Amino acid sequence: MASVLNKSVALWSASRQPMIVALQLSRGAQTAAAAAPQEQPRLKKFKIYRWDPDKMGDKPRMQEYSVDLNNCGPMVLDALIKIKNEIDPTLTFRRSCREGICGSCAMNIGGTNTLACISRIDTKLSKATKIYPLPHMYVVKDLVPDMSNFYAQYRSIEPYLKRKDGIQQGEEQLFQSVDDRAKLDGLYECILCACCSTSCPSYWWNGDKYLGPAVLMQAYRWMIDSRDQFRKERLEKLQDPFSVYRCHTIMNCTKTCPKGLNPGRAIAEIKKMMAGLA
Amino acid sequence: MVSRELRTRKGKNTKMAATFGILRLANRNMLLSPQLMTRPFVASGLVHRNRLQPAPTTQFHTSPRSLAAMASSHWNAERVLVLGMLGIFPLAYFVHNPAMDYCLATAVVLHGHWGFEQIVTDYIHGPLLPRLSKMALYGASILAFAGLCYFNYNDVGITKALSMIWHDL
Repeated sequence: MASVLNKSVALWSASRQPMIVALQLSRGAQTAAAAAPQEQPRLKKFKIYRWDPDKMGDKPRMQEYSVDLNNCGPMVLDALIKIKNEIDPTLTFRRSCREGICGSCAMNIGGTNTLACISRIDTKLSKATKIYPLPHMYVVKDLVPDMSNFYAQYRSIEPYLKRKDGIQQGEEQLFQSVDDRAKLDGLYECILCACCSTSCPSYWWNGDKYLGPAVLMQAYRWMIDSRDQFRKERLEKLQDPFSVYRCHTIMNCTKTCPKGLNPGRAIAEIKKMMAGLA
Repeated sequence: MVSRELRTRKGKNTKMAATFGILRLANRNMLLSPQLMTRPFVASGLVHRNRLQPAPTTQFHTSPRSLAAMASSHWNAERVLVLGMLGIFPLAYFVHNPAMDYCLATAVVLHGHWGFEQIVTDYIHGPLLPRLSKMALYGASILAFAGLCYFNYNDVGITKALSMIWHDL
């Protein structure tokens, strides 16, 4: 049996070999053809916030890097990785999925909080792109902000299903109508990148007490879940002048959200529920 | 490693932080945990209840409960006032009488007071300063209301005065 298997594997790989070689050849030819006419380097300047906690008395500064866009991917994260790989390995930033689903690479690019991985490099070569960490956050190093306060706030809203009937997990299904499920669309997609919260002036000035748009939208998400039975208690927990009411509806959150969600509306809905209007 | 951890600490109470740093480092789990990578988190000299976790630089807390019961009813009152003003202001163009004058005086002062109160809450921080500012704001609002009432009582009143700007000046 084993020998038969081995043989079939050997046959398979033998038959595959020429095709792979052919593929590699054609691919090489393609890239060569694409690279040939573009000889002029397209140098794009990036000004990046640098601060190293390990250097005694180091002051934050902007460091400039030039990247040839001909040999670089289209997104800002591609440029950052290229700089780290080829120019300056000390440049520090968070990244993981490179496709806008993990929220690690949230930073302030050209004055807007967004994800570096889904933000295109501005191809205007005359202008440098400025990259800062998320505004008004404590900086751990370079573009890495300290998210511990943000996560503590998220924990405080108890972002999970809570029941009063004592159903044990895995015991039975909690059904939800199609309409009730549809209410969660536009809320559950949040990846907690903190772009919205750190774009909010109220969160800048009162980040210790105001929960901020990202966390409030998740609070709302669990309040309106038809399977959750703690809406009243969740609302009561926000009954103070700071947790919700620091929101003055300036909508920076909705404007900046890289996932196109609307935390401003969620906060307005919370205010309506707290007022007994919904 | 200890010296490296300590060197990066800043601020006045370096000595205190150093002691706590050694305490924290004495824990074997702490030595092995990746939290050693997060030095700037522990910049504050405070020791967190859980020694394994570095003290976050910002201490998260919610507001005191004593203020809590007021929050949503205050918001409701603000909305009611604003909706009322939407009705009163156009009406004041046609109706000129003392009742309207006092209504306007109340609405304008209350609206202004609540608006400034939001500004104080947003921007003035600290243990003492917010309380002082709120007291000053109350003083200013009471003075403004008293002034408008005085004007309504002893003079032509707000509505008449405004119409005089158009007709008599």
